[in-house]
Amino acid sequence: MLHDPASFCSIFHWSTNSAILNVWVATKMKLKRFLLRYYPPGIILEYEQGGLLKTKSIDLLDLKAETDADAVVDEISRKEPLITSSKAEQVKKLVLRLQEKLGQTDDHHFYLFKVLRAHILPLTNVAFNKSGSSFITGSYDRTCKVWDTASGEELHTLEGHRNVVYAISFNNPYGDKIATGSFDKTCKLWSSDTGKCYHTFRGHTAEIVCLSFNPQSTVIATGSMDTTAKLWDIQTGVEICSLGAHSAEIISLAFNTTGNQLLTGSFDHTVQLWDVNTGKKIHTLIGHKAEISSAQFNWDCSLVATGSMDKTCKIWDAASGQCIGTLKGHDDEVLDVCFDYTGQYLLTASADGTARVYNAISQNLVAKLHGHEGEISKITFNPQGNTILTASSDKTARLWDPESGECKQVLEGHTDEIFSCAFNYEGNTIITGSKDNTCRIWR
Amino acid sequence: MGLLSLLRKLKSSPDKELRILLLGLDNAGKTTILKHLASEDISHIMPTQGFNIKSVSSDGFKLNVWDIGGQRNIRPYWRNYFENTDILVYVIDSADQKRFEETGAELGELLEEEKLGGVPVLIYANKQDLFNASSPGEISEGLDLSQIRDHAWQIQPCSAITGEGVREGMDWVFKNIKSGKGKKK
Repeated sequence: MLHDPASFCSIFHWSTNSAILNVWVATKMKLKRFLLRYYPPGIILEYEQGGLLKTKSIDLLDLKAETDADAVVDEISRKEPLITSSKAEQVKKLVLRLQEKLGQTDDHHFYLFKVLRAHILPLTNVAFNKSGSSFITGSYDRTCKVWDTASGEELHTLEGHRNVVYAISFNNPYGDKIATGSFDKTCKLWSSDTGKCYHTFRGHTAEIVCLSFNPQSTVIATGSMDTTAKLWDIQTGVEICSLGAHSAEIISLAFNTTGNQLLTGSFDHTVQLWDVNTGKKIHTLIGHKAEISSAQFNWDCSLVATGSMDKTCKIWDAASGQCIGTLKGHDDEVLDVCFDYTGQYLLTASADGTARVYNAISQNLVAKLHGHEGEISKITFNPQGNTILTASSDKTARLWDPESGECKQVLEGHTDEIFSCAFNYEGNTIITGSKDNTCRIWR
Repeated sequence: MGLLSLLRKLKSSPDKELRILLLGLDNAGKTTILKHLASEDISHIMPTQGFNIKSVSSDGFKLNVWDIGGQRNIRPYWRNYFENTDILVYVIDSADQKRFEETGAELGELLEEEKLGGVPVLIYANKQDLFNASSPGEISEGLDLSQIRDHAWQIQPCSAITGEGVREGMDWVFKNIKSGKGKKK
């Protein structure tokens, strides 16, 4: 009955005036089963309507271990017609299970498990699949390699690109496909099981440096130094549309949680927000005074965070496109920004060698992360939201406590700067990719 | 540095920024020349397994110098770095006569590359401090440099260890850039 993985794209927004609607909707919808999503906490309802199987998600982003479970269940059954009184006990069990997971304290100490030396040139990016059973590494040696996390064995080498493999991704949560974007101007779609190439997407006229699957895994978006982003159909391999409104290189790209909007961040100092279905621009986020380094949505898609070479991070209202806050304080370029899974924290990483933790809603500074001896180029939360991971040119990756800003651990061993790092979904394995041509597994 | 800065250096910036590609066989002295240009310590240089990049300001230009490893297994990947190159600097170990043929063949292939079409080439005849070093004249002859047609080129004797001659080579680079960069694009 309980399922962990969550491919749940239809987010159900509770609305205050839906009570009347609920009466007749409830008669037409039949609840089939519950699915549990740990990070961010949520209960997914699988239901039947008009003969079709559908899902909707009840996001419990504010849930804490100490929250009164009965109150949560009451609120859910009040607002959600599918949760009738007979289901309340079951829902409570799910809430308690989520709370149990949230209450687990994190005292995991990471050690170096394996050094993978199969690439002969520096690595670019690294990424896990949803379950964490395998991960991928891109490299200047024109290949992407697929690895088994448990053993550190190389499963496949994805060969065919004629230049640096820079941007890589699994189609999570499914994980059966891999997309690679290369300096050879093409994007390739591969089977992660066999290593076979399904499609080569051609059309960009310069390096592809960012890409993403939509959450439904039907579309790939690619961003290029040719100033455009393109959407590609995974089934047919054809270009759906080209998003051209930037006047300089696109270097960051992100879908929202539902997959109907796309962000593109550019060296032209702006971020564009696109409607994926029409290919039309919804907003241009104007305000940064230098190149954009990263642009991200929060989980409920209400906020956008952008990092810039102008040393600031800006927070934008996704609906209106208005800037609602500018986070200043870094002494040098902001190289990466990141929300935690629930969207309550916002992280900034800077070339000044420090990182900062902000409350995403109040925009107050929570903690400063001091310790790196070189610029921090990547920052990320573990899915649990209780540990921050940073990668630096000082050849170390570090783990931090988001509340106190205290450095919990230094991951040492790389002999050159670290370009990329990632947590698995469980939060108990880390991979780091370096200019020293190696990838390291820590667990 | 980080991946993002790599992307920024990858693209050729409009006016006062130059992308210089530093190539040559392994042990030719590329990294030592790079460090010399950046005024860094040269006492502990290991074979370059990937690449080194330095940004150096000189003569009003910002030089983004890409030093790519020269070992045989890495050479096929040199072409990864050809895009938007303003100047090719090719380094030769003047005292390793046994490998003149090999280095000449590599240089010949580079000069045939479409993406390096018309790019000026500076050849450093390095390690002139060694007693058995060949002279620039001997190297030019040995490598048939007079056959180069579609590139402005110059051979510059130097010693990356002492720094002698490195500056003169860069002077030639600036002269050729000042006349050439405006015409590009």
